[in-house]
This record gives sequence, C-alpha cells and structure tokens, in this order.
Amino acid sequence: MLIDLHPANRILDETLRERFNGSAEKLVMKVADFDGVSYKLSTPESKTVLHISMSIACYSQLREYGAEDVLKREYGDLVESSPEDGFDVTLRIDLENLPEDKESLIRKISYLKRNALAAPFERAFKSQLEGNESELMTIQYRPDEAFYIKAQHDRVTVIFSTVFSEETDRIFGKVFLQEFVDARRSPATQNAPQVLYSAREPPMELRGIPGVHESENIGYVTFVLFPRHFTGPAAEGCISRIQLFRDYLHYHIKASKAYMHSRLRVRVDSFLKVLNRAKPENPDAQKEKKTARFVSLSVLAIALFCLGFVHELTLVRSSCQWKNIQAIMI
Amino acid sequence: MSSPEVFQLAIGTPITCHAFNKDRTQVAVSPNNNDVEIYQKGKTGGWELLHTLAKHDKLVTSIDWAPNTNRLVTCSQDRNAYVWDWDASQSKWEPNLCLLRINRAATFVQWSPKENKFAVASGARLISVCYFEEENNWWVSKHIKKPIRSTITSVAWHPDNILLAAGSTDMKARVFSAYIKGVDSPKAYPLWGEKFPFNTLCGEFGSEGGGWVHSVAFSPSGDYVAWASHDSTIMIAHGRDNPAIQIPFGGLPLVSLIFASETSIVGVGHDCTPFLFVLRGQQWEVIGKLDQGTKKAASSSSAFKMFQQMDSRAQQQNPEVELNTTHQNTITCVRPYAGTPENVTKFSTSGVDGKLVIWDLLASGMAGLKI
Amino acid sequence: MKRTACCDVLQLQAQPAIPPFSSSTIIRQAPTPPPTTEKNDPPAPTRSHGPRTRTHIMSNTLRPYLSAVRSTVTAALCLENFSSQVVERHNKPEIEARATPEVLLTPVTISRNENERVLIEASVNSIRVSISIKQADEIERILCHKFTRFLMMRAENFFILRRKPVPGYDISFLITNTHTETMYKHKLVDFVIQFMEEVDKEISEMKLCLNARARIVAESFLQQF
Repeated sequence: MLIDLHPANRILDETLRERFNGSAEKLVMKVADFDGVSYKLSTPESKTVLHISMSIACYSQLREYGAEDVLKREYGDLVESSPEDGFDVTLRIDLENLPEDKESLIRKISYLKRNALAAPFERAFKSQLEGNESELMTIQYRPDEAFYIKAQHDRVTVIFSTVFSEETDRIFGKVFLQEFVDARRSPATQNAPQVLYSAREPPMELRGIPGVHESENIGYVTFVLFPRHFTGPAAEGCISRIQLFRDYLHYHIKASKAYMHSRLRVRVDSFLKVLNRAKPENPDAQKEKKTARFVSLSVLAIALFCLGFVHELTLVRSSCQWKNIQAIMI
Repeated sequence: MSSPEVFQLAIGTPITCHAFNKDRTQVAVSPNNNDVEIYQKGKTGGWELLHTLAKHDKLVTSIDWAPNTNRLVTCSQDRNAYVWDWDASQSKWEPNLCLLRINRAATFVQWSPKENKFAVASGARLISVCYFEEENNWWVSKHIKKPIRSTITSVAWHPDNILLAAGSTDMKARVFSAYIKGVDSPKAYPLWGEKFPFNTLCGEFGSEGGGWVHSVAFSPSGDYVAWASHDSTIMIAHGRDNPAIQIPFGGLPLVSLIFASETSIVGVGHDCTPFLFVLRGQQWEVIGKLDQGTKKAASSSSAFKMFQQMDSRAQQQNPEVELNTTHQNTITCVRPYAGTPENVTKFSTSGVDGKLVIWDLLASGMAGLKI
Repeated sequence: MKRTACCDVLQLQAQPAIPPFSSSTIIRQAPTPPPTTEKNDPPAPTRSHGPRTRTHIMSNTLRPYLSAVRSTVTAALCLENFSSQVVERHNKPEIEARATPEVLLTPVTISRNENERVLIEASVNSIRVSISIKQADEIERILCHKFTRFLMMRAENFFILRRKPVPGYDISFLITNTHTETMYKHKLVDFVIQFMEEVDKEISEMKLCLNARARIVAESFLQQF
C-alpha cells in the first residue's frame, strides 16, 4: 500500500542514476516537489557538467537558521557560491569526476530539499541537547502555511499550521488529525512523539507571532519531541518524517476523497440498475439491440465471468477497462 | 374459470382508452399519443391495424363509438373533439370538427344512448353537450357550467337521453339535465326532479372523505348513479333525495366503472384488477377482485439474458418483476363487451400496460363469488 | 504491510486512491460494536463485528418506517394524465406548478426520528418524495452532501430524481404520470425504498472506511519513531 511518502525526490533520483551510468547528453529539465519546491537540471557548460538548482520559497528564512552550513556539510564543494538566476541553491557535478560511491551521491542529491529544510531542526535539536532554549523559528514553507520550531529546556516543539482549502478537506483533516492524537494509545506507537491538535485557535506558543491567525479552515498540529527522538541516529529519520507531515496528511486526505468518489460512482451505478428494474422489457427492442457489437460484448462478458472477474462486469463499458479487456483477450 | 382473452396491442405504451364497434370486429384505441388507431379482428384471433386517424395534435383522452350510427367521436387535450363518419366509397374515416367552445383540454366524451348528442367533459370546468344542427350541417354545443368548480373527469348518460351524470376533481358527482330543445322530447323522472330545462342540477353528491371523482355510471334503469372516487370508495346514489351509499373496498382507487346489470358494478383502477360489487338484498357488497392472480412460472432464461440482466439491473433474473395479475399496470378503461346493458356477460378493459383484455364476467365473477 | 515510496508531486497526482481496505481491516478498526437489537439473540462470541453483519441487523424502528413509506408511496402513486386547467394546452406536474389547489393532496410526513423523515407530497398527476437522511455528525453531513450532490448531478440518468431537493430535505424524487406509464409502478416504489435503505448503509460504511484509513495512516506515521 502506498502509505508513506519518501523524503527523496524520485525523479531526481532516477534522472541522476541514468546520467551517472549512461552517456553524456545535453539536458534541461524541470522537476517539481512538494510545497512549491522546483528543481532545474541543466548542462549549461558542457555535456558532462550537470547543474542542479533548487528554488524553495522560504530559503531566506532557512539561511537564517543555518541552511548554508548544512548544505555545505552535506554537499561540500558541489555547492556553487552563486546560485543560478531564479534559484536558491545550485549544485555542480562533474560527470567525468564522479566519486566511487555513486549511490550515496545520488541519495544525497535527491535529499536536497530535505536537507535544506533540516537546518532549523538541527539547530533546535542541538540547542536543546546543550540545554539551551532557542528562539521560535518560523519557516513559511507555503504561501499560507508555516511550521514553527522551538527548543525548550526539556523538549523541542514543532508546530505546523495547515490550511484546508474546502469544507470536505477540513472535516476529513479533522478525522485524520484526531487519529494522530489518539493513535499514541496503541502499544506500537508508545515511543512516538505526542501529537496535539487544535482546529482553529493557534496554540499558546504561537500567540502574538506575526502571521499567525485564527480562521475556520486552519488547523494547528503540535509535535512534542523529547531528546529520545533526536539523540544520535534517530534525528535524521525524525527530521525527514516531521518535515513531510503536512504533505503526508494532505496526500491521504486527497486519496480518501478520490476513494470516496470512486465509491460513489459505483454506488450510483448500482442505483441506476435498481431503477432499470422498473423498466418493462421490450421484446422487439431487445432483438434490435442484439447487434454484433452487443454480442461481442456479451461474449467478452462470458469470458470474463469464466475467468472469475465477476465484479469487472460492471466496468465492461468504461473505456479504460475496455482497453484492458482487449489486452487480456489478445 | 376460463381465462380472459389478452391482447397486447401496444408494447411499452399505455392504451389511453378503447372503444369497440357494434359487432366487436373493430376496436379504436389511442396509444397514449395524438393518434387514434383502429384495429380489425384478424382471422387468427389477433388484431390488425386498419386505420390511423391523425387529426388531433395532443394526447387523445377519450374515444366513443356509437354502435348504431357507426360514428366515432374522439376528444383530446388539444381542446377539440371530432366526429368521424365512415366513408364507404373512399373507405376512410372523415373527421368533422365540433364547436366545443372550450379553452382547456377535453377529458372525456360519450355518445348519448340515442346517438343524436354527445357530451364532452373538459378542464375548462364545463361540459359541452353537442348536437347536430341540420341547417348548418355542423356539430354545435351548449355548455353546462354551474356549479362545476374543477376539471370534469367523466360523464355518463342516463338511458333516457336527457340526464347526464358528471364527476369532477372538485370531489363531487352531479346529475344535470342535458335537454336540448328540438332534439329531445320532454319526459318526467320523479326520482331526479320535476322539470328539466337545460343545465338543471338534479343532484349533487360528495363523500365525507372527499376524493376526486374518476368515473361515473348510470344503472341500466337510470335509477342509480355510481361513481368511483380517489378515496378508494365507490358511491352509489339512488335518486336526488336519498343519501348516497359509500362502499369502501380496501384497495387503490378505481378509475373507471360500469354497471354490469342493475345490481352489479365492475370497477377497474390502480390495483390492476377488476373489482366486482353486487347488490344483495338492500346491501351493496364488495365481492372482490375478479383477477385473483396466478403465480407466473419463472421463465427459463438464456445465458445471454442472464448476462444482460446482470449488466443492466445487477440481478441474474427477476421473477417478481411482473405482477401476478393479467394487467401489469393501472387499468384505465372498462367497457361492456357482450350481453345487454341489463346483463353484461363479458367486458373489456385496457390499461397503461398496453393490454386489451376481454373478461368473461360470469366465469370470473362466479369464481369471485365462491371466495 | 509492504510500503513503497512515493515522493514527487507528479506521481502523487497520477496515483489514484488507495484501494479499498479489506473488510478485515474494517472489522479490526470498527470503533464500536454494532448495537444488537434482538434481545433474544445474544451475539455469539465468534460473531464478527463487521459491516457485513451490521446490515442484517435491522433496527427495530427501520422496518415499520420503511413499510409505512412503502404503503404511502404506493397509494400516492395513483397518477393519471391531467392537463393543466390553468394554462391552455399545458400539461405539467401539478405538485410543482401548485396552481390548482384541488388537485393537490395533503402532504404526509413519515418520521423515524427527528433527523430521518420522508415527505410525500401527492397530486393528481405527480408526486414528490423528499428524504431527509440521517446525519449524526460533521462527517456524515459532508458525506451525505457529497452523495446527494453526486446523484443530483446525474439526475437525467435517474429520470425521477429532482435536481434540487425540497427545502429542509436532502434529496427529492419527482415522479410524474409519464414515469408510471413507462415504468412498473411497484418497481419504482422498490427503488425508493432500496435507495433509503442503502443511502444510510453507504454513508456509514464510508465513514467507517475513512476512520479506518485515518487510523492506519496515523499509526504508520507514528510507528516509525
């Protein structure tokens, strides 16, 4: 099941793997990621020099929280000192001078967005572990949505604000978030951070922060992280997951809506069939209908039936299924 | 019990009304549109389409066939009525427009017993009584207006050609005089009043529950008038002054009824089966349904049928789609078929299911009596 | 549970819904066991508390409610072709035109409780059946709204569906004499009844699905810490 989102960008990953192992070619490619992040892959100098640029809306804030240091640490010399026009970070890779371990480089680069966003987390974790409180860091990663990180003497608090664009999203979102709050009761998630959720009002920590407002369709989700969540190797996974929380939530809201929609479609279809029972059968009309196409359809239906695809019958007429069936038959 | 003769004249189309000619060799029906179709009884017993009378431009609501003069009269929601004469030389039906002078739908038409007049009920809250004016060679009409307050759904002539019963959606059944000077000669009926100038109200009846009157009928003697009302009762009135008797029968409303004799009434309606009512001693009684219904054997279905059913209705086969009765939907019209007015032995019905059915009253009625 | 990665926006959009959860999932996730109404029939210990069994347990009040609706609709469906007596050469559903008071019957409301009720308005040539569907909470309300809107957008396929519900109700059917002439009357009644039965079922099943999914999603996220 497609439940989890992965912090790596799949397209970056695949493109790089292809590039690193294939012949050099000219390339200009734009790739999108969550939260309005976009990448550009290009070969402006020569076929063998690949530039990967990323634009991210909140980069000025991230830089303030030490993003450049993190990127420097992760990518070293690959980071260009002046990024490409219209982008915030540019990496330069010489395809003729690749390191031995291509895989780890690919992995690193496909984590570009994740690493840029990791900076405020790392800063907060660090200051907490040192026993200091940090300022409240605001990362406006989408036009109307932000997350806030603050290290306190015994914990790190991460607060997401998230906007639900319509009523359905808001209600579905509430159901999901309520489950996040309740899920900690089950034994499997005993170690998970505490999740708090407030539907309209911002939590106490955010009172008075500019840009924080009350509205019917805004939700605030608070993660309370204790040192056990971010000490040592746990930190990396924790950052990746928390970052993607908003996308994860909305992805599942959308998927639920799509599922409801397909379910409604089936149900409406079945209601139509019940209504069809009210129509008297016309023996003459039936004969006319029995054209070659109809017969072929019913033959297909029989074949499907034999294959045990009974439930597919209702879909015989929809065109995409139709193609599939043809493929099966051939 | 001999089973009724069933003819599926129209498939998937209701038969709005039907009327037989005198010797029952031809039948005029309206297939729920603006045409009147005349069928001839074929040698094999089926019915073959003979003529299509297309003159109306909206739904034909009623047809009546005068047995002796062999004239048809039809009326329609287009506000017109036509008298059709058979032109033997050209072997076609000649329409003659009647001056109804109404501005709403015509809903029902019936020839008077002497066939020199007919009455057209209408949504204009009036009845046009039409007669032939020799000097103008034209069917003209006089209006019965007062005190009708809603659409007239049905009319019925008294056997003596003068009185006319009418039922309407204002929940009343009324008896009027439709005496036309120069056409009728005066008569006396102490039961219904003393003098009968045109438009005299000779009786007005309503029921307690109240319901639209769907159909009215005079008994063969003219002493009783019966009507079917939407509150699932039939009412029977004996003269102007006696209180009307109400007979509830516990079913869906009847929409058409006839006297099968002086003491029995056949009514049809939404229950898809004819009901029989009989006067026993002084008491009118419901005998019951004339079509008890038989369980139909589930027809064996082919594989093709099964898949088709699955596809369109999500069920493999449905034995209960059909009702157990002969008619599969509301019966809208009942008429005597054989016998005399005093003793109808067979009657015919037609309905929304497109079926024309001829019933043997004696056979089915006896079956009903036993129960 | 096998987990696969899905990371980029393009893929997200191309990805349809998660396939429906297996019923075993729902059973496990069902928040409360269904109310058992038959007193003489204590639930066997092995009885699963899934939606499948739930559908068989018809609440005590549902049956008389539906049978009252069935008889009333059957009685109301005694329609005839009735031309307008107000406008010349017109023929329209009197229940909608409302121009002729004497051809309208007294409307009947059948209530199961304050949230679930059916309004049956009859006239000489048309009837209107309006259904108010149970909506216990916000989720049911939004699901019901989605469902009825989805249906009404397809009203032309449903012939008897009114494009807009009567005020105060969630969905309305308008059945005219043309419908009873072209379709079996008793099957139209069956349709209305079946619709009422299944709408409730569908909404509560959708709600269960949503809750189950939310639970799985939340657990799977939090389990990784």
